[in-house]
Amino acid sequence: MDARLRRVNKEISDCKNDKTSQIKIELFDESPFHLKGSFPGPEGTPYEGGLFEVDIVIPDSYPFQPVKMKFITKVYHPNVSSASGAICLDILKDAWSPVLTLKSTLISLQSLLCSPEPNDPQDAEVAKHYMTSKSSFEETATYWTQIYAGGPGPKEKKGKGVGGKGVQDEVAIAGLERAHVDRFETLGFERSKVIDALRRLNYRGPNIAQITDDRVVEELLK
Amino acid sequence: MTQPVEEVYSLVLDADQLEQCTSMQQDEFGVLESIYPEFVSSRNLDGDALKLEIPVQFGTTKSVLISEPPPPSNTGIASLPEKKQTLQSISLTTLPPILINITLPRSYPLQKPPVITSIRATHIWLSEVEVLQSTLIELWQTAEPVLFNWIEYIRTGDFLEKLNLVSPGNSDIIALPHPAPRLIAPLLLEYDSSAQSSQFAQNSYPCSVCLTSLKGSKCLQLKCKHIFCRTCLEDFWKMCIAEGDISRVGCPDPECVKKANEAGEEEVARVVTEAELQRWKWLREKRNVERDPTVVHCPVAVCQAPVPKPIDADKETPGWSRLRTCPRCGYSFCAFCRRTWHGPLDKCPIAQYEHLALEYLGAEEGSPERAKLERRFGKANIIRLVATYEEEKANMQWLSSSTMQCPGCQCHVEKNMGCNHMTCWKCSQHFCYRCGERLNPDQPYAHFSNPKHGCFNQLFDVIDVPEAEWELEE
Repeated sequence: MDARLRRVNKEISDCKNDKTSQIKIELFDESPFHLKGSFPGPEGTPYEGGLFEVDIVIPDSYPFQPVKMKFITKVYHPNVSSASGAICLDILKDAWSPVLTLKSTLISLQSLLCSPEPNDPQDAEVAKHYMTSKSSFEETATYWTQIYAGGPGPKEKKGKGVGGKGVQDEVAIAGLERAHVDRFETLGFERSKVIDALRRLNYRGPNIAQITDDRVVEELLK
Repeated sequence: MTQPVEEVYSLVLDADQLEQCTSMQQDEFGVLESIYPEFVSSRNLDGDALKLEIPVQFGTTKSVLISEPPPPSNTGIASLPEKKQTLQSISLTTLPPILINITLPRSYPLQKPPVITSIRATHIWLSEVEVLQSTLIELWQTAEPVLFNWIEYIRTGDFLEKLNLVSPGNSDIIALPHPAPRLIAPLLLEYDSSAQSSQFAQNSYPCSVCLTSLKGSKCLQLKCKHIFCRTCLEDFWKMCIAEGDISRVGCPDPECVKKANEAGEEEVARVVTEAELQRWKWLREKRNVERDPTVVHCPVAVCQAPVPKPIDADKETPGWSRLRTCPRCGYSFCAFCRRTWHGPLDKCPIAQYEHLALEYLGAEEGSPERAKLERRFGKANIIRLVATYEEEKANMQWLSSSTMQCPGCQCHVEKNMGCNHMTCWKCSQHFCYRCGERLNPDQPYAHFSNPKHGCFNQLFDVIDVPEAEWELEE
């Protein structure tokens, strides 16, 4: 058994045994080198109450090269691409150390959600939003947490803001692409239903996360 | 005096008590052997003699001052000029073992203390062994096994206080009197380093890369004190060296990675193979050369070796300070214009160093770019070069704006007065000062009277017009 496999197995079991950190690492399939990590959104942030899933790929030269991580759950955050889930974090690049583990890296992601770095953005649009109007940014982030990460939604200002902006805006706020929504709408489905289904599936086009058109239609026919 | 009394007591012990003593001795020996197996050598055949070899392990680094004991003051030679005291100060975490030979009386520990048959310090680093001996005996209390306490008392170095060897103000300083400080100091240092490495080899350390615990002999402690297993360091550094990413050849700890702590040659040599070490050194040299602003590369296309600035280049006259000689191919060239060395007096052609001057002028004053160039060529040199460049440039501008080149000999001619028909003072070529065209020496003015030509009616420049106007007005 090679060192990489031994270490990954150890990390997975260590994480299982640690009940306090609330960080989970699961297998996608049989491969121990493609994993799914998850952690709760940090308290006191728009991400509170949500559960965030991360796609983890262990490279061949792990732990000497950084682990590859991207968000599966859509996250509205300046350092996370809202389209692909790609993450901008120094320890995933040149500040990586072989001493860092999957768990400690996931904890770092968790704290990235607490402290965005809008000056080094992954998503320029979101970063601009964050810089220009923090409250509006937090509203959208809370909304995304609610619809994608199973969060509780806006706390006190219920019914205000996000809801009243109409269907057109809803496509943008939900982080969906109009073209995707339009495509399924032309198949004869109701627009709001399409938005709902795509949101549920965490749809980002047919190539990401391998959601086929058939799968979407299936969801729409439910 | 006391001897007969003890004899009397020993007679008092009955067979049961003696048996109890024997079993207590056996228990104590068993405990010692399991806790400090390396300190205890097994009992001899008779079963009552014991050999203890107890090193002093401070646990922290102490500074040990070894000095010659002061000469006795009441001797006849006291009046002689005082001999200069030799003093050696060294840092140690261990001291060589104290060797103690013991026999255990049959009535130990119930009635008698162990008998110390001999006591000495390895390398005789401690001369006051008699004091230590009596102190050890005093530690014994009736019916109490004492050997474990003895070992602890010596191992921790607590006895040094009793011998008044610990500095009263600072417990980290130990004053050790010794007749020959110069002889004992290296012996103590040697013991200390070998003890540390053997201790390191015996302990276990968790490697935070492979997440396993390994014996120290399979681990390496880096200069930042972090410990990793050799296999992990080897895999890590090998990969970095193979990929040419030598800035990562260092401690894998996240803090050290952030600080970019690189490994030293000694460390790398202990971990990777000789070939990898050579490659690492080559890569490091290459990188350092790339970082070093004083280095220029040999302009010979097939060589391109880095050429360092000669150490005394800054002290040379400005002309000579430009000289560089490639250490690999021996090519001598000018650091400014990169052409074959043109001697200390010849100026570099402006086109060859224009880029340098522009680079320097383009950077802000005090900027790292300027500092880099200043270090490479010398500040005075580069300033002189820029001044030359600016002067040359001004000259060029003046030449192009205020003079005309003779189309015959390329000599620049400045007209201070008169008409635009020029005759070169050097080669007697006739030419037009406006457009530089050669003129027919027989009919030089035809150029200015042809209406199709741009110089028609321009025998005199516009500058002359105001005068003409003034004349007209008059």
